[in-house]
Amino acid sequence: MLEYLPPLNEHNLPYPDTMHPIVVHFVIAMVLFAVVCDVIGYFTRNARLYEVSWWNLFFATISIFVAIVFGQVEAGLAEPYAASVSTLNLHSILGWSLSGVLSAVTAWRYILRSRDPKTLPFPFLIVGGLLTLLVLFQVYLGDVLVWVYGLHTVQVVEAVRKGVLR
Amino acid sequence: MNTDLIDQLKGQLGENGLPYALPIHPNLVHLTLGLFIVAIAFDIVGVFFPLEKSIFKFLAIPATRSNFFDVGWYNMLAAAIITFFTVAAGFYEILLAKPSADVTSAWGLQAMETMLWHGVGGVILLFLIAGMAIWRGFQRFLWRKDMARQVQWGYLLAGLGIFVLMFAHGTLGAHLGGEFGVHVSADQLLQLGENPNVLGV
Repeated sequence: MLEYLPPLNEHNLPYPDTMHPIVVHFVIAMVLFAVVCDVIGYFTRNARLYEVSWWNLFFATISIFVAIVFGQVEAGLAEPYAASVSTLNLHSILGWSLSGVLSAVTAWRYILRSRDPKTLPFPFLIVGGLLTLLVLFQVYLGDVLVWVYGLHTVQVVEAVRKGVLR
Repeated sequence: MNTDLIDQLKGQLGENGLPYALPIHPNLVHLTLGLFIVAIAFDIVGVFFPLEKSIFKFLAIPATRSNFFDVGWYNMLAAAIITFFTVAAGFYEILLAKPSADVTSAWGLQAMETMLWHGVGGVILLFLIAGMAIWRGFQRFLWRKDMARQVQWGYLLAGLGIFVLMFAHGTLGAHLGGEFGVHVSADQLLQLGENPNVLGV
């Protein structure tokens, strides 16, 4: 099976650079901006911002599944060393969970918007706040994997391949 | 940057070479790129709305053309605001960078060239993004205020051109972290001959 894939490069990837940290732009930025638009829209009574929020949420929900596909591929090829394993596990579990949570929030928003696009019930803002916390924690975990543990960086991959890091 | 100068701050910097645990610039980059790309994408959706109408209807998603242009405007405005902070954080962190000097990136560049191009590119992109937001504002509030199609073709084309620049620029940034090990704790430890397993979070 593996012989049908391109050979792995010095990042231990079959393509030039990690894709997951790029695709997650469209989940992180869109969810956070949607929540910001909801809050500003709610307190300035600007229903137009609710539409901006909805379309950003919609885009984020499609993107999270693409992010998970790349995340799963890159987690599988990460060869995490001892110290990084538990963070990678938590990031994976929370990533899958977030796809469900985000889909549910967007589905709820779809119903709210279908009934009345001009108003937003206050509880949705609270859910938006909780979603923000989950996303920020997930970003933190991803940051730790890249910037602390250096998974898929050339030097870590090299050390793991030499067997000096495990 | 000059290692001796950075060492003046030695006591205040962690393993990653920063006075805080995680670099800020790469996180703000998510916002800059996400907001900019989605802003252009939604303006494109708005421009081609007559073709998509039946798709949205089939999916039972109510959609109004002007709302796509709202997304195009507000996302672009947010991208322009946040990018000032993205570039500022980037310059702070590039000043404290200690890249591997003996590495050549996948694009055949060494660390100093990569850092300089990434720094210059960041300022150019900031100008371009701010300019795009201003251009977008003129189209929305003055020139095309009463038109069904709120954006000019040239604006969308410029947006797509900036995507290409962003790809090149982002790849240089990825090289700084992923190949030169800038502000990556594990890579900095490996350069010192230490084992990253001492890292715990």
